[in-house]
Amino acid sequence: MTVTTTHWKRSLSLEMWSKGKEKSLFRILAPKKEKGTATLRSGNDIWNYLPKVKRVIKLPSSMMAASWMGSHFTNDDLVKESRMADDYTFKITFSGEMEGQEIVEVTCYPKPDAAVVWGKVLVRALRREYLPLFIKYYDEDLRLARTMTFSQVSQLGGRLLPAVVTMVPEDKPEESTVIHYQKLDFDIDLKDDFFSLRTLQK
Amino acid sequence: MNSLQYGWRNLWRNTRRTGITLAAVCLSTAILMASYGLMDGLMQHAVSNATNLVVGEVQVHAQGYLADHSIYKALNEPDLILEAAKQKNVVAAPRRYGYGLVAVGTKSAGARFWGVEPASERATFDLAQHLQEGRFLSETARRGVVLGQKLARSLQAQIGSEIVVVVQAADGSLGNDLYTVTGILKAAGDSIDRNAALIHAEDFVELFVSGDRIHEVALNSRGMVPLDKLTELLSIAAPEEEIKSWRQLMPEVSDMVNLFDAFIWIFGLIFLLAAGMGVMNTMLMATYERIREFGILKALGATPWGIIRDVAAEALVLAALGTVLGTILGLAGSYYLQQVGLDLSIFAGTYSVGGVAFDPIWRATISPKMVLIPAVLMLIIGVVASLYPAVLAARLDPVKAIHRP
Repeated sequence: MTVTTTHWKRSLSLEMWSKGKEKSLFRILAPKKEKGTATLRSGNDIWNYLPKVKRVIKLPSSMMAASWMGSHFTNDDLVKESRMADDYTFKITFSGEMEGQEIVEVTCYPKPDAAVVWGKVLVRALRREYLPLFIKYYDEDLRLARTMTFSQVSQLGGRLLPAVVTMVPEDKPEESTVIHYQKLDFDIDLKDDFFSLRTLQK
Repeated sequence: MNSLQYGWRNLWRNTRRTGITLAAVCLSTAILMASYGLMDGLMQHAVSNATNLVVGEVQVHAQGYLADHSIYKALNEPDLILEAAKQKNVVAAPRRYGYGLVAVGTKSAGARFWGVEPASERATFDLAQHLQEGRFLSETARRGVVLGQKLARSLQAQIGSEIVVVVQAADGSLGNDLYTVTGILKAAGDSIDRNAALIHAEDFVELFVSGDRIHEVALNSRGMVPLDKLTELLSIAAPEEEIKSWRQLMPEVSDMVNLFDAFIWIFGLIFLLAAGMGVMNTMLMATYERIREFGILKALGATPWGIIRDVAAEALVLAALGTVLGTILGLAGSYYLQQVGLDLSIFAGTYSVGGVAFDPIWRATISPKMVLIPAVLMLIIGVVASLYPAVLAARLDPVKAIHRP
C-alpha cells in the first residue's frame, strides 16, 4: 500500500485475512517502525495491536471516521465496505456499450435506516467479465467525495482480478492511496477463533 | 465680590439644607466610585481568570491554523516571537498540538495532545496549578501526561495509570507509546476538559515526529503591557502570522466584559440622576427662599445673566465641595474593598459564569478612570441641575418678587 499526501509519501506492506462479512485481520510487515502493528475487525468493532507498547486498544466510535494507518481509507471503511449488500439498495442505471466495452453501471442508495456516511455510491463494471472499473462515493449532498479506481487486471489466486486499487479524495486530487495486491488466496480454511485478540498480538 | 465667593457665602446661610445636599452629593459620588470599582474589579477578575488560565492575552498562530488545526501549519519563525516577547519581559509559552487516541485498558478516546514547555507554562499561566489531582508535568521529559477532567473520567484514568497513546505522526507513520498520568486538571472549559492531554514538548516531538514545528505562542503579561501594545509588538515581530487577542479568542468572555461595562454605565447614570435631583431640589428651595432678594437685586440692576451666573456658581461650589468630600470617602471605601474585599463565600463557594471561574472574595480595583469619571460627571450634573432654578430666578418680575410675603 502506497500512501501519498501533500506532506509525505510512504509505502507499507501488509498481510490481510478475512472471513465472511464480519471478520478481518490486517498486519503490517514493513516498514520496521510499524512492523507487527495489527488491526482486527469483528462486526462493528476494531481493535489495534501496537507491538511497541505491547498493548491492544479498542477504537472508540468517535475515531471511526479517522484515517486507517494514515491512508485515505477510514476505519469505517473496514467495517462498512463488506456490508454494502445490507445497507444499500441497488439499481442498474446504465447497461450497454461505452468506449468500446460492455459496461454496466449500478447506483446504490443507502437504505433509510442504514447508518452509513455516503449519500450515493456509483459502481461501474465490465459487464461480461464482472470486473469493477471504478467506484465513486458521493456525500450526503450528493457531491463526489472520492473515487476508487481498479486497474491492472491479472491472475490472482486463480481468478482474473484487478491487482491495483487507487483511492483519490476529490478535495485533494494530488493525494492518493494505492493498494497493490501481490498475492491472493481464496477459500483457505480459517477458523472463527483465528480472528481473536490472541492472533492479533502474534 | 465674585460669583464663587458670593455662592460660597450663600451656601452657609442655611447650614442644614446645604449640609443635606452636600451629604447627598458626597455619598452619591462615593457610592458611585466604590461600585464602579467593584464592577471593574469583577470584570478584571473575570478577564484575568480567563486569560491567565491558559489562553493568555494574545496568541500567535500560522495563517489558517485556527481553521483546521493542521499539524503542518506551524509558525514560520517562532524564535522571533519569543525573542520579541522576552525583550518586553512578557512570558510567552510555545505550544505544539496534535491529535490522536488515548486508551486505558478497554476504554479509549480521541484526544488533542498539547506539547508544552512546563517551565514557561508555569511562569505565566495558572493551568500548572489548576490541578484536581496529582502534579503538573516535570521540567524534564518523562512520558508523563496531564489529562483534562472529563477525558480522565471517560478513560477511568487515575494518577499513575498507564495510558496507551496512538497518533498519526507528521511523517505519516504511526506514533505510539506508553505514558503515565501524572495529573488531572480541574474544570478549565469544555474543550480542555474533554480533549486535552498535556505532554512535555520533547515527548511530543518524539511521538509526532514533528521536528521544530510550533503551532501556537501564547503571551501573557498579566496586565502589565496593554493589549494594543502587545498586538503591535507581535505584528512587527511576526507580520505574516495570525495574531489574535483574547477578545477574539474568547468572544463569550469579551461579550460578558462589554455587558459589564454597560451595567456600570447604567448603574452610574441612576446614581447621577438621584444626586442631580438632590442638588436641583436644594437649589430650587434656595431660590424660592430668596425670591425677594432676587427681586431687589433685579430692581437694583442685576441682569438675568448675572443671576443665572450667581446661582450656577453657588451650585458649582456646592457640587465641587460634595465631589471632593465624596472622592475622599469613595477612595477610602474602594481602598477597603480593594484590600479586604467582599466575602461572598457565605452565599456561594467558587462559582463560575460562562465558563469563567470566580473567587468568592469580591475585590474592587482603583484606577484614575474610576475616580475621575464619577467626580467630573457629578460636578457637571450639579451645575446642570442648578440651571432650572437659576433660569426661574432670572425671569422674576422684580415688582412682584419684592411684594411676595
